[in-house]
Parts: sequence; C-alpha cells; structure tokens
Amino acid sequence: MNADITVDAKFKSCPGPLIALAEAVGKAQPGQVVKLLATDPAAPSDVKEWAAGVGHKLLATEKSGNVYEIYIGVVG
Amino acid sequence: MSKIAIIVASEKMDKLFPAVTLATTAAISGWDAEMFFTFWGLLALKKGYQPSGVTFDYKAYEGKLTEAIASGTIPNWKTVLEQGLATKRIKIHACSTTLGMFDLKQEDLESFVDSIAGAATFLSKAKGSDVSLFIS
Repeated sequence: MNADITVDAKFKSCPGPLIALAEAVGKAQPGQVVKLLATDPAAPSDVKEWAAGVGHKLLATEKSGNVYEIYIGVVG
Repeated sequence: MSKIAIIVASEKMDKLFPAVTLATTAAISGWDAEMFFTFWGLLALKKGYQPSGVTFDYKAYEGKLTEAIASGTIPNWKTVLEQGLATKRIKIHACSTTLGMFDLKQEDLESFVDSIAGAATFLSKAKGSDVSLFIS
C-alpha cells in the first residue's frame, strides 16, 4: 500500500508511536494515507483503538520482520 | 466527550511517566484530562523539575528506566506531558494545601499549571470522569 506520509517510530515504546502518529495525522490533509512504522507490540491495538475513537480509518496492518506497518486513512 | 481524572501524589520518575502517558494518550484521543498534583507529586510542577530517580522500593530497576529514557526508547515524562498539553485538553491543578506546606507560590510552578485548587474544586472538575486514578 502506498502512503503519502511515513512516520518512523521504530524502537519507541508506548506512548511514543501513537503520539508521533497523531501529530502526523493532525498535519495531514483529508484523504491522505499515513504509514506508521513501529516495533512496539502494543502499536497495532493502540492505533486501532485510537483511530476508532477519533474517527480516522485503519486501512491495514502489515508486519515485515519485527516491524509493524500500520496504514491510516485521514478523514476530514 | 470522555474524561479521565488523575491524582498524582509522587514526584518519582516511575509514577510521573504512567500518569502523563495516560493523560496525553487520552488527550490525543479526544478525551479531556484533569490532573491534580498533590503532596510529593506537587514537587514535579516546580519550574524545570526533572525526577532524580524512581520509588525507593524499585531502586534495583532504576538503571533500566534511565537507560531507556537516555536512549529515547521511553520518552522523557515532560516531553510526553507537553505533547498532551498542546491539544489543550489537559488541565493541570496544583494542590493548595501542599503548595503552602512547601512554602511555594504559583510563580514557582511551571507556566502550564492551570489552577491552584482545593479538593472541592478538583472534585467538581473530575466529576463524571469515565476513568479516575490515584497514582502514588
């Protein structure tokens, strides 16, 4: 999946990845896709809950080695 | 709108970090967060304060935590708090009683402190919270 913006939060513990993602999503335009790279095992679940709460769209969660690639569709 | 209320009664690194993690995560998730710093927790609001260590009982693990913070794996507690404060959804209340006990004045505290509050004021702010915690 292609992303407009990539946030690299590998090796950051909670709440680092989510804070970095929220900041990037806040600056993105509606319709853009933001990709989060994270190694924190809690990241997929945290991002899922956060996106559901704030109204952005969780498009996909993939895993490559020990790195999660989590795609968020920015909703205006 | 969901809300979390957190009473922080310790100035140690291992207590401040979870308190601000929950407040900031709530704030970036669109929740309101009310934080009341009382007793030793109030010391954490002094201008420029950085915790010198962890709670005595857990000294054996202090190195692990300071290493993780130094390497950036775990962020500094104040950085986390500032990221939450940027949302304007976190309110910081300093306990008036302990402020007096430590002979401190509001000008001794960080500028992000929203109010000097007593128990009744904090209770009115915290009323109706979905999550409420006492961290000490």
